[in-house]
Amino acid sequence: MTARDPDQSNDARLTGHDAGSQPAPRPVKSVGGGKDDGTLIEDPGKRAPLILGDRSFGDVTDIVCGYAEAPIPKPWLALFTITSSIAAVGTGMILYLIITGVGVWGLNNQVDWAWDITNFVFWIGIGHAGTLISAILCLLKQNWRTAVNRSAEAMTIFAVVCAGIFPGIHVGRVWFAWMLFPIPNSNGIWPNFRSPLLWDVFAVSTYATVSLLFWYMGMIPDLATLRDRAQLRRARGLSRPFAIPMPIGTDIVVPFLPRPDTIRSFAYGIASLGWRFSSRHWHRYEKAYLILAGISTPLVLSVHSIVSFDFATSILPGWHTTIFPPYFVAGAVFGGFAMVLLLLIPIRAVLPNFSDLLTLRHLENMAKIILVTGTMVGFAYSMEFFIAWYGANQFEFEAFANNRVNPNVAPYWWAYWTMITCNVLSPQVFWIRRLRQNPLVIWLVALAVTVGMWFERFVIIVTSLHRAFIPGEWHMFFPTWVDILTFVGSCGIFATLFLLFLKFLPVFALAEVKVVMPQSHTSDDH
Amino acid sequence: MSTIDQCPSTKGTLDIPDSPAKLAQMSGKPVWRSPEEFAGDDSFRGFVEREFPGGASVLDDTNRRSFLKVMGASLALAGAATVPGCRRPDRKILAYSKNVPEEIIPGRAMYYATALPLPGGGAEGLLVECHTGRPTKVEGNPLHPNNQGKSSAYAQSIVLDLYDPDRLKYPEYENPSRGKVAATWDDFKFWAHEHFSGYDANGGRGLAFIAEKVSSPTQARLQSELMAKWPNAKWVGWNPAEQRGEIEGSRLAFGAPHHARYRFEKTERVLSVECDFMSEGPDELYHSRGFAGTRKVMNAGDSMSRLYTVESRPTATGSMADHRFRLNPGQMAAFIGAIAREMGIDAPGPAVNGIEARHIAAIAKDLTDHAGSSVVVPGPGLAPEAYAMAMAINDRLGAIGSIVELFAIDDAMASDAAADLAALTADLNAGTIDTVVCLNANPVYDAPGAMGFGSAFAKAKTRVTLTVGQSETAGASTWSLNGAHTLEAWGDVAGTDGTLSAVQPMIAPLFEPAMSAIELLGFFADHANTDARDGYALVTATWAGRTNTTTDNQGFKKTWRRVLHDGLLAGSGSRPERASARTAQISGAFGAYKHPQLPANAALEAVFYTVRHNDGRSAANAWMQELPEFGSTVVWDNPVYLSPMTAKSLGLLPEHSRLDEYNPYTKQQMPQARLATLTVDGQAMDVAVWILPGMADNVLGIKLGFGRTETGRVGNNAGFNTYTIKPAGMTAGGAKIERSSGTYTIASTQNHWSLGPDSQSSRDESRHTIVRAMDKPWWDKYGDKVETVEDKIYGTPAASLTIAEQIGELSHTPANISSYDNPMNRSPEDAAVPPAGVKHSDALKRDMPAPYSQGPQWGMSIDLNACSGCGVCTVACQSENNIAVVGKSEVAKGREMTWIRVDRYFVGEELNNPEEMLIQPVACVHCENAPCEVVCPVNATVHGPEGTNNMAYNRCIGTRYCANNCPYKVRRFNFFDYAQAKLNGGLDPNYVSTGIANAYDEHVGSDRRNNQNMIPPRLRKKVEEIGKMQFNPHVTVRSRGVMEKCSYCVQRVNQGRQDAKISGTWSEADQIAPIADGLVLSACQQACPTGAISFGDILDQNSQVSKEKDSHRTYLLLGYLNTRPRTTYMMRVRNPNADIRAIESDPLAHHGGHGDDHDDHGGDSGTEHDDHGGESHSSAYIDGVKKYTDNGYAMSLNVLGTS
Repeated sequence: MTARDPDQSNDARLTGHDAGSQPAPRPVKSVGGGKDDGTLIEDPGKRAPLILGDRSFGDVTDIVCGYAEAPIPKPWLALFTITSSIAAVGTGMILYLIITGVGVWGLNNQVDWAWDITNFVFWIGIGHAGTLISAILCLLKQNWRTAVNRSAEAMTIFAVVCAGIFPGIHVGRVWFAWMLFPIPNSNGIWPNFRSPLLWDVFAVSTYATVSLLFWYMGMIPDLATLRDRAQLRRARGLSRPFAIPMPIGTDIVVPFLPRPDTIRSFAYGIASLGWRFSSRHWHRYEKAYLILAGISTPLVLSVHSIVSFDFATSILPGWHTTIFPPYFVAGAVFGGFAMVLLLLIPIRAVLPNFSDLLTLRHLENMAKIILVTGTMVGFAYSMEFFIAWYGANQFEFEAFANNRVNPNVAPYWWAYWTMITCNVLSPQVFWIRRLRQNPLVIWLVALAVTVGMWFERFVIIVTSLHRAFIPGEWHMFFPTWVDILTFVGSCGIFATLFLLFLKFLPVFALAEVKVVMPQSHTSDDH
Repeated sequence: MSTIDQCPSTKGTLDIPDSPAKLAQMSGKPVWRSPEEFAGDDSFRGFVEREFPGGASVLDDTNRRSFLKVMGASLALAGAATVPGCRRPDRKILAYSKNVPEEIIPGRAMYYATALPLPGGGAEGLLVECHTGRPTKVEGNPLHPNNQGKSSAYAQSIVLDLYDPDRLKYPEYENPSRGKVAATWDDFKFWAHEHFSGYDANGGRGLAFIAEKVSSPTQARLQSELMAKWPNAKWVGWNPAEQRGEIEGSRLAFGAPHHARYRFEKTERVLSVECDFMSEGPDELYHSRGFAGTRKVMNAGDSMSRLYTVESRPTATGSMADHRFRLNPGQMAAFIGAIAREMGIDAPGPAVNGIEARHIAAIAKDLTDHAGSSVVVPGPGLAPEAYAMAMAINDRLGAIGSIVELFAIDDAMASDAAADLAALTADLNAGTIDTVVCLNANPVYDAPGAMGFGSAFAKAKTRVTLTVGQSETAGASTWSLNGAHTLEAWGDVAGTDGTLSAVQPMIAPLFEPAMSAIELLGFFADHANTDARDGYALVTATWAGRTNTTTDNQGFKKTWRRVLHDGLLAGSGSRPERASARTAQISGAFGAYKHPQLPANAALEAVFYTVRHNDGRSAANAWMQELPEFGSTVVWDNPVYLSPMTAKSLGLLPEHSRLDEYNPYTKQQMPQARLATLTVDGQAMDVAVWILPGMADNVLGIKLGFGRTETGRVGNNAGFNTYTIKPAGMTAGGAKIERSSGTYTIASTQNHWSLGPDSQSSRDESRHTIVRAMDKPWWDKYGDKVETVEDKIYGTPAASLTIAEQIGELSHTPANISSYDNPMNRSPEDAAVPPAGVKHSDALKRDMPAPYSQGPQWGMSIDLNACSGCGVCTVACQSENNIAVVGKSEVAKGREMTWIRVDRYFVGEELNNPEEMLIQPVACVHCENAPCEVVCPVNATVHGPEGTNNMAYNRCIGTRYCANNCPYKVRRFNFFDYAQAKLNGGLDPNYVSTGIANAYDEHVGSDRRNNQNMIPPRLRKKVEEIGKMQFNPHVTVRSRGVMEKCSYCVQRVNQGRQDAKISGTWSEADQIAPIADGLVLSACQQACPTGAISFGDILDQNSQVSKEKDSHRTYLLLGYLNTRPRTTYMMRVRNPNADIRAIESDPLAHHGGHGDDHDDHGGDSGTEHDDHGGESHSSAYIDGVKKYTDNGYAMSLNVLGTS
């Protein structure tokens, strides 16, 4: 591969070259501001660059498309093998559950929800960052979002997929789960519209639909680029034959199978819905994008509010709390951003050219969001506790003091304090600039927050349930191996889907990234 | 066959045979419609098809065959539910289709009276509910003097024994060369005739009988017949858990053995000494009813009895006590002596260590002060001298004859079973016995361990055992004979008072042929006659013989029919004897009595006991296995119970538990029982040890009847066979226990030892609100008063709070007065018929009848003063509502399915010595404002127009949200297909680590079982169909993944409504009259021996339930949640003796405000104000009225710390 002229015109994009080729890194032009790459500039008069490496438009295209077109890398294959095996175990657990009964989990008549709904709320929460970044930051014209929005949206979709599994399989009779939907039937029985679980069905399915549309629609031009590049390679005879990736050694070439570029031009061609890069297309695309952003924005608030109603509208001490809707939304954004960071920081480290598009500035911005939302969540924890005491409801105070906080009497004190440590204390390191600019620190905090957010849901669900009003029916919850493997399996499903996304789809929104590049603003000084 | 050929005549001439082919018959003669049919010609079918084309031509041959297959399968299934008996189909199944008995109404159950012989004598009269010939549910016979319509848990459970698929199904013979082989009864009779003829010559020398001790006149007659025939034969009446104290004690006191029954309804003061008269013994139902009647105070100032109990382990009676004292059994005699001395009876003996002398004096004074209405109830297991002394006290108190009813015990029943068996064992060992016949006795399992009966038994050449289920003795016999169950055979039984009852079969023996014990005895008496006399002939012969008549006598026949209808012979009960205690002899014997030494850690005292008549016979009964034991709530097991302090000092506290915790779960682990080696009477065994608050220190509570090895899948290896260490009696001193390695999982429904009100912590309030209790002086003071609280916030009408409502959480939360009319809220206030012209409207502003004004509106009231926690309601509900049994490992996970559970709380500061035990049965309370209904996403739990909260099982998808939102936690989820699973008491490997399990195997000799539920259903062994015969056809069998809960026995409600409609006493349109109170009885209400549960129409002002709801003792459980439960609880009133403990401080002063307004309800200012200073919550509330109306005011004071 050869280094090309940075000022290569847009035509160069259409010429096509070797699948998977990456442009060479370029020396960084110092912008001034202390750090060598200039992204962490603090000078209010200057704007930190969002794209590093003095990239041309073509370079950006090559970077993003190159990864999607490259032969399957061995580490990817290894990871994919692991994650898909875990996903298979998870699927096996789900099948076992459906065949045998919900009792394979550790639930009992006092703790009727435990890991199932914990996982559901956890994954739904993860799914919040994507839409927040795509929609709200889009409407607020936060340009830095362009580097992360595609992957965050993908993460949202996959998290919602994982989230959707749990309410589906946790019901006792999975084969009747369709009764949740308002389907006219001969008995004239409708779902109970007073039930928050039904609101969940609508909220989550709406959210999943809109997020999927948003993600897919944003991807159409980039899919078309991939299609065009594949077709050009075919036309120029640059296409490689199909090769079965082997974990060790060389890939096995199978000449009689269609070439990957043939498959690509077919698959991306169908997926890109006939996109021709015409101005009319772009015009309509921009409008639709804005409209979808507008639709998604209230969904960011509504979904987790409604999920929180599962708890807030109940009468159980520890659940029956009016603070839940904002607190859950803040927690979801918190957990979602943590997951974005958890995934992108390693990718950035592994794929060097990505760090030109996803800079330290992005990480720092997201760290700041983690700090803000983490503090909001911490405030919510303390308000919950305060109201439990101030409200003078003995049962509610018990639910907090004796079921969660006090290590002497609360069996789940460790879960509560894990949650506090991970969610409230760990993000506080971001007050120190050096730490919030260190990818390793950010990653560790993101990991802690992800763990902490899982525990937050566990604490809310299990510690409130295991000792409620009548002591005669108190029971502990002990997870079984099926509980654990189902959750691990859902992580496997998530990781598998995300790996597939990384390999086969454009990870950055090309057009949007290009819009925030300096070249786009030569005549527009603002 | 072709259907194209339209004309049969084109097929040629029909050859008409002389005799018809297979034809339908009518009035015994063949009928035919045509010559073709007569000839059996195929063409006839073609003709028929043209005649009935819609029905016959649609299906071609293959389809018709599959249709028939499906029909056949569904008929077979339907047959399983409708055919009388669940045997292989025989010709009898045609009975209903051909000639339906006139009295049978399809879908209606038939009730037949019978009686249940109790182990060791006595009887319960039963009414058995039969659906198309199969008994499904047992109820008490209202005519029987013992039950009076109530029943015990044991009686409820027998119907499950009947359908046990593991019952012995045919005789088995142990062939010397081939081992056990299946045989027939004819084989047996042939063999027996030959074998027993040999004994005719020598008068039965070398022959021995071991028969279960039951008070059956026919068995007694046949016994004497046999003994006359074979005078040299041995006869042992066997009762493994025999208590000798009563027999020997009454022999000492009155000169002859007597059974004592007590008329508690006449008592004001009761002292129970080591006697669980409420839940043990043949008269438990009689006693429960009588005693509970003296506790049902309705108004302030109502008289109420006072109960003192002195006992070594927590019992249901102890939970009812106003004063409960723990005392080791060895000191019971000393205690009775001390009481006697206080009363001036000569009773030399040591002082009591553990009960203060002033308390003894106070008890004695209280009893003496109420002479004539006070009684001492000695336990049947006391030392005879102590028992006799107690009777001397009763004599002094004037109780004998009036309160204490004495009934003579005949010699056969008074025989010393253990001594007789020991003598037989000696004979067996000496080789003088070569044939042993066991009749419903299982001595190989339940003989005292040191006796070594099992090895002696094997020395007899011929061993014949009749058993209803399976038994260890049958397994060790040369002939094991399948016996007929009580519900399958004729018999008779006398109650403790001599009331004669007939035992009549409800169903032919399921594993026919089978014999009952009397039939087998009858066969032995006349073994030449292979057509054995059946039970009916034997019983009628006995009864006719008693009146010197014959069975043909018309008068006898009439009486007999009456007996079969009533279930008993009216007036056959003997009059209580008017004996007086021989005080001088008693004093002499008492002085000579050698009191046992005080137990210590190195020499513990062991108390053996059985629960619910289960001496091992109910081991195969999953209902009894899963019925939580009183106090410990342990199921499927019999760990040895120790008091917490004793366990601590011996190092036997359960792993992961600490004594100073009210809940030991802070370590995230299930408490695990320690395994220990227990040595009693020179025999050692490994057992699990569990702690039980309320046990006397240094006493081992050892439950019998577990650890069976041959009883079927259900009971095998559940628990420990403690008979192996049992001495001849039921108590033993000098026991040793030492920790061995390993732990053991104990499953209990309340697996924590929750202490109740604890003044040190905030837990105080929440516990207080759940089980409310109050000392009687305060009840007398406030019981009739109502505090009216005006609601200043919303301006809505005032709330009035009774005393019971005030002592709960309402004293801390504003009165629950809604600011708007919620159409879903329907409460008694709404029920008032509106004045003319006023119309209620619903949410849509449609004119409506006043909500909740149309009857019936169902409700329930549970009287905590009457409930003893015996658990009968749980089994009755299980039986009525087809509730699944889940097994030990599932209970350990907290998944028991019982719809009504009995919660128990220990009260006090000290775990080792709780002040009292509070009992509270909780089932679905049927909230009018039900939290479960709102959250169900599929409308599977909805409200009925009669105020019940209903489950639509078909609609339920099992989100379990309802259970989460239920504050009472009464909903039960089918985590697995429990109804289909065959369960054992096995251990779940999830709860036992491999090492421990191996240790368990090694120590206890049991195999480790997996939780079968975890195995996917298709890979699991199928249940035998016979188990399904028990199901009540009026109640759905719930599938996996469905939520269930108490339905207020909706099937009974519907039946009752239909009956009322048919009888014309009630109709929906014009409310002629309410549905008569008592027409609908819920299963729990019907079984409850104390009448603690009442259920009925709460709009009917005359119904028992509405009267109870009007009582000021009534409160709403968690009422502040505004759930408006239809089940209400009646506060418990204690009647303490002020000389023994101080009356508790004024409950209203403690929980509410005090000050000027206090006089509004208090009236007089006095002693109750004394201890306000120490209370923790008084500062929060300044103004007693304002506390209800302005919580902001109160809160601000609280926050500011102002007082």
